Amino acid sequence: MKIYNNYVIAVASLLLLTTVVLVAIGANSLDVYYTFYVVEALVVTELYVYFNARARRSLTLVSAVLFAGFMVIVLSAALKVLA
Amino acid sequence: MQGNRDKVRTDKNAYTWTGLGLLVAGTIVVLTSMLILSSLVWLTALGIAMLIMAFILLALARTIPRVTPEVGMLLLETGIDNIATVVEELGIKSKPVYLPSSLTGGRPQALIPLHINPSLPKITSALPRRFIVRYGNGPDDVGLLVTTAGTVATGMLESTPGPSATQLESTLASLFVGKLGAADRIRVYVIEPGLRVEIRAPRIQNAGTWTHQCLDSSLASVVASVAAEAWNKPFVVAKEEQHGRTYTVEIEAVE
Repeated sequence: MKIYNNYVIAVASLLLLTTVVLVAIGANSLDVYYTFYVVEALVVTELYVYFNARARRSLTLVSAVLFAGFMVIVLSAALKVLA
Repeated sequence: MQGNRDKVRTDKNAYTWTGLGLLVAGTIVVLTSMLILSSLVWLTALGIAMLIMAFILLALARTIPRVTPEVGMLLLETGIDNIATVVEELGIKSKPVYLPSSLTGGRPQALIPLHINPSLPKITSALPRRFIVRYGNGPDDVGLLVTTAGTVATGMLESTPGPSATQLESTLASLFVGKLGAADRIRVYVIEPGLRVEIRAPRIQNAGTWTHQCLDSSLASVVASVAAEAWNKPFVVAKEEQHGRTYTVEIEAVE
């Protein structure tokens, strides 16, 4: 399943690179790291259009969980602003 | 019972083990960073990245086919060899004509004429769903209607492929690259009166075998069947050749 390997390598490389870059620029908020991770994972998943239907369904579920985490961050930030 | 015995199960594949490993390691890293190292942000983030990768790997692990590629290849070669034996024993010299499902009354299949005709068989109505079929009015218009790799592959498509080169390229890429994992890239070019399909880094090697002399290769069979379904016309494989890492298949529509 070469397409699976390519996808996993692409996501893993991006996440690692993001961590290195954010550490280098001195990002000190976990929210920033997580937001970058989620956006990158969602974009790469969308770019792999040739996945079979089962893989796409499973990855959609993972994307939904990651997006839910992102929404928690957004909501907590909004509550901080309102408070 | 027999069916259950024939299934080779590989429930715990590499993706599962890697995913579980990352899940455990990621959890340890996050907990260590948050509880012991006073919330070291970059380390916590690295742990979260490991957890994201773990979820992705575990999700993909559920979708990997339970039959190994080796078993798949074994079944494919057995089926093709049996058909090729029949074709060789009957002394058939003609090449298969790949018919769309509208001409076979079910799914796309290949017709192998028993006699070489000066022109390719012209089929206007659906053939009966039998092994030996009469496709014309002439006494020699008899052939074998066989199931090929293309027949099964077109059954994996979610919708009928579109007729344009771009649509066909997209369909073949989703089949070869996504579903079958049998190639890296597909390119489709329109060349009158058919198509040229370039398959980059194919992982099914059967050119040069004796089976290939009687029937077309599995790659060509899939290409011709999908094209037949897309154009709703019979196709024949005109040429197959390997150039470096690219396998080229030229197919022609039968008018």
